[in-house]
Amino acid sequence: MSCGEGASREEAPPAESRPEVAHIVAVRVGHGANCSSIGSVIDTLFATATVGAAVFAAVVAALRVEEVRVVSPGGRAGDPEGEARPESEP
Amino acid sequence: MIVRYESWGAWVKLESHAALVALDRKGVRSLGLDGGSAWREGAGPSAPVEVHMAVTARCGAGCDGCYLDARPDGAEPPREVLLRELDALRDAGVFTVAFGGGEPTTRDDIDVLAEAARARGMTAVLTTSGLGLTDARIDKLRGFSQVNVSYDGSSETYARVRGFDGAAAAERAIERIARAGIRAGVNVVLTRESFPRVRETVARARDLGACEAQLLRYKPAGRAASLDYLARRLTAEQARTLGPTLRELAGSLCASNDFHVRIDCALVAFLSADDELARNPARLTRFGVFGCEAGGALAAFTVDGRVAPCSFAGPTGLRATDLARHASDPELARWRNHVDAPPEPCASCSLRAVCKGGCKVVAAHLDGAHGPDPECPRVIADRASARKEAAA
Repeated sequence: MSCGEGASREEAPPAESRPEVAHIVAVRVGHGANCSSIGSVIDTLFATATVGAAVFAAVVAALRVEEVRVVSPGGRAGDPEGEARPESEP
Repeated sequence: MIVRYESWGAWVKLESHAALVALDRKGVRSLGLDGGSAWREGAGPSAPVEVHMAVTARCGAGCDGCYLDARPDGAEPPREVLLRELDALRDAGVFTVAFGGGEPTTRDDIDVLAEAARARGMTAVLTTSGLGLTDARIDKLRGFSQVNVSYDGSSETYARVRGFDGAAAAERAIERIARAGIRAGVNVVLTRESFPRVRETVARARDLGACEAQLLRYKPAGRAASLDYLARRLTAEQARTLGPTLRELAGSLCASNDFHVRIDCALVAFLSADDELARNPARLTRFGVFGCEAGGALAAFTVDGRVAPCSFAGPTGLRATDLARHASDPELARWRNHVDAPPEPCASCSLRAVCKGGCKVVAAHLDGAHGPDPECPRVIADRASARKEAAA
């Protein structure tokens, strides 16, 4: 696996602590290719629960196997001691 | 996957799937990672996840409503300048760069720019009118993850939106791009003329090989910022029926999951009229629906190398090559922070956190300020009620 500056993933995480659907705050599906305004896939909003669950299951499966590369915008390098303020969502 | 730490966890761009994932801190830790200073220092403005880059202001199409006011003799920055801007995007941790203009395919080096973006770890996408798109030019688009063609409908509808009939050229382009093995999508501008035929338009695009249709709100910028805007924008009734229209499109065209429908940030405000969606904002959040992200998750690079909150907004004083300083730019902050304490009826709207106040470009054009989106059904109803009370 390759890690960028500040990455701290040095070995594969144990199976019991790998990402779960509950850890996912949001999934934006697709690339989108409009150059003027930012778009969001909406047919998933109207899909059945089964289809919606499949999207999240596929994401979790990918999270468990893909190699990691960390990009850290200025001053945001990883630090294993990092912890503090309340979390807010995107 | 590409991980970018945020105060709440991390954005994760998958590479085996076309998806951007917001993962909470526990999820990030479960990958064996830690956000470090990004988590310790608390919430600050994040860098954009997507930037729209105008690589030329040249275009011979002459669309009536061009937001850039592109012309055949428009300015075109040299490649070296754009490469430095791509460096700035990489350094800021931007995931996606969308090339536009002007007509970006008229640049002889468009393939070089796509490769340069990819080499910097970004997903490169592009929008084209499709006019004059030869096989040789299509071959130069192979470095893009997706290419969208502007397609507002069949001949008559297209002409009513853009002022000329380019439908056949756009349809040929969709077909040939898809046949070349490049993911093709379409951008469909919704005006009061094109809206009644949107199902037919999107179905036609799918039949031609498009994998996605993005519906766009008509916005008063560039040549569209005129009195004509009032005659072209969606009617209030059409805006109110966007939710049911999307539901019908999704049900009839997306069932096999190989074709998707998107809406742009400015259309999200119209979903406030859809009871089912308005009752369940968490579902919109969960599926990553973005409302106005101008100056936040979205930024634009103008053709003269400045940062704008979005492609429809005027540029700030921040140079594109200084994107890393986006957090301290006061104009970007003004756009970004509007949602923190919006006036009514946005303040009590269930979709507030997703919609973020609707389109500020429209608000500025019609009301002269960053207020609630005056075309949002909820805002229209609220203002009508206020007028009624005042009259009583």
